[in-house]
Amino acid sequence: MDFDIIFGNAARAAFGPEAVILALAAIGLNVHFGFTGLLNFGQVGFLLLGAYGTSVSVATFGWSLWVGVVVGLILSVALAVALGFPTLRLHAVMFAIVTIAAAEIIRILIGSTDAIGLTGGPLSVSFDAGAFYDLNPYPDGPHDRYGVGTFEFTGQQMWVITVGWVLVALVSLVVFLIVRSPWGRVLKSIREDEDAARSLGKNVFSYKMQALIIGGVIGGMGGVIDAIKTSGADPNGFRPQVTFFAYTALLLGGAATYLGPVLGAILFWFLREWIESFLRQLSAEAWLPGAVADFLSGSEGIISVAMVGLTLVLLMLFRPQGITGNRTEMQLDAR
Amino acid sequence: MPDDVTPRPESAPAEAEIEPILTVPPVVGAPKPNPMLVVDDLSRSFGGLRAVDVDHLEVERGVVTALIGPNGAGKTTLFNLLTGFDRADTGSWSFNGEAVVAPSPDQLARKGMIRTFQLTKSLAKLTVLDNVLLGAPSQVGERLSAALFRSRWQHQEQANTAKAEELLERFNLAHMRDDLAGTLSGGQRKLLEVARALMADPMLIMLDEPMAGVNPALAQSLMGHIAQLAFEGLTVVFIEHAMEVVTGISDWVVVLAQGRVIAEGPPWKAIHDEVVIDAYLGRRRAGAGS
Ligand SMILES: Nc1ncnc2c1ncn2[C@@H]1O[C@H](COP(=O)(O)OP(=O)(O)O)[C@@H](O)[C@H]1O
Ligand SMILES: [Mg+2]
Repeated sequence: MDFDIIFGNAARAAFGPEAVILALAAIGLNVHFGFTGLLNFGQVGFLLLGAYGTSVSVATFGWSLWVGVVVGLILSVALAVALGFPTLRLHAVMFAIVTIAAAEIIRILIGSTDAIGLTGGPLSVSFDAGAFYDLNPYPDGPHDRYGVGTFEFTGQQMWVITVGWVLVALVSLVVFLIVRSPWGRVLKSIREDEDAARSLGKNVFSYKMQALIIGGVIGGMGGVIDAIKTSGADPNGFRPQVTFFAYTALLLGGAATYLGPVLGAILFWFLREWIESFLRQLSAEAWLPGAVADFLSGSEGIISVAMVGLTLVLLMLFRPQGITGNRTEMQLDAR
Repeated sequence: MPDDVTPRPESAPAEAEIEPILTVPPVVGAPKPNPMLVVDDLSRSFGGLRAVDVDHLEVERGVVTALIGPNGAGKTTLFNLLTGFDRADTGSWSFNGEAVVAPSPDQLARKGMIRTFQLTKSLAKLTVLDNVLLGAPSQVGERLSAALFRSRWQHQEQANTAKAEELLERFNLAHMRDDLAGTLSGGQRKLLEVARALMADPMLIMLDEPMAGVNPALAQSLMGHIAQLAFEGLTVVFIEHAMEVVTGISDWVVVLAQGRVIAEGPPWKAIHDEVVIDAYLGRRRAGAGS
């Protein structure tokens, strides 16, 4: 059992591109759910459109990567508008159902064999993200490594995560600035009681739409980073669980806080990777009974996700406000 | 009709001149000299129950009108219809001389018709001060384009805060300005909601049982404050189901029973009306008998 390796893997996951993507997805959800009370269960749809908008623009249409990024973000806005118009006036539960269904429909359409010519269909799509890596300031020789001990990244990875975390910081700052404003106060009033907001002259539909678009575009940015990181997109990467991982990260860190979704995403990936690596090492231990080793090997990933789920359950029981949340605020729900 | 211009008894607040409302005959549907609200043939049924069925009603501008009636008379439903929170089956109404078509609560509120709720809607997770600030009309910082830049809305916010603090002072809530509204008592929440509604600079304020659960001394000062605002031009309609309390604080009383306006007039007249006493006592007897 080599705890150095386990820790290295966990730390790399916690600060790597996957955590950046999850953080962006969770920040977007925080705008939807945390501050506005919109139960969006289709956040993955925004990531998907961000990733596919970028990938397809470059791979299929031969446009530049930067045009692709813009296309990806515009598609996220379009999804928000398309989802919001018919459903934002409906009950919160209807909205939740429509969002989860819409995201899954888009994924199935994009991954269907009929879409091969456009999106690559089930075969996934790949493109040359050279335009992004050309800007990489980190020397990226075969032996260049950045980090300490087992916690290290290659030059290319460093570039992706540098851009990624700067983006996370900027987005968090913007969210902080707009939410602490009178505009954000209206969002919070809608979260608590739409009719109270209406009775004071606030156009609830318009505010919800704005929140949906902003949170959606932030999710779309996560998708763009995903596309750049993998130089492509695969329909299997955008299954509904991505949304639930984002919710897990958000609730872990603390919904309706500014740093919660970021801390939550880091912690989510740290835990998930730590447990998986630990189990992987454990299943190789000689003293383990054969049956247990057989059960473990190959299932480490699934078990680790289950363990993260269990952590969330425990958290909800003992610290429902998340790591950074405010307990008294939480308890007012009960009144 | 000179005998309708009854002089005010000692208990009513004394004023220098006789208000135009006092020239209005105390009959159901009486036209008012200067109406803020004019309602025609308004009805709303729930299943077989006609909750509201008003043929004609006018609410005079710049005075305090009490809407009274036994529980279940349809007072709250009438408020809901007029403010756009519920859809009428039939009928029309005008507000401030303008016909209300396709009523939407937020639009009506922006035009100056602000209501409060019988079941208070104070926002528990916002501070007391933020609750009141939310009422401020046309705050530029509520537009996304301005929200990002504090300099765009800071001045207005400061002015609003000063005004909000004044209101909180009046309602004995100033010491709780930074507490979450969810920690207030029921009566305090009622007051907070009234303060928030006043923050919106309404032309017409409609209060649904503003004094329920508020301690009597504070309720008196609340209504005193509201009477003062009416004196300055605000139009006030408030719901109350106990008729005894409306005498001192209203200029006009509209009595609702089973969805219909059964009487209206100055308070000292309306509540002594035979029909009204019957409606109330009938209720009480039925309640006591069952
Ligand atoms: N949403 C509703 N659905 C069904 N019945 C309702 C609804 N709202 C009110 N009612 C009924 O309409 C009548 C009038 O209610 P309401 O306006 O609340 O009376 P008040 O405010 O005068 O006490 C009552 O009989 C009540 O039960
Ligand atoms: Mg009522």
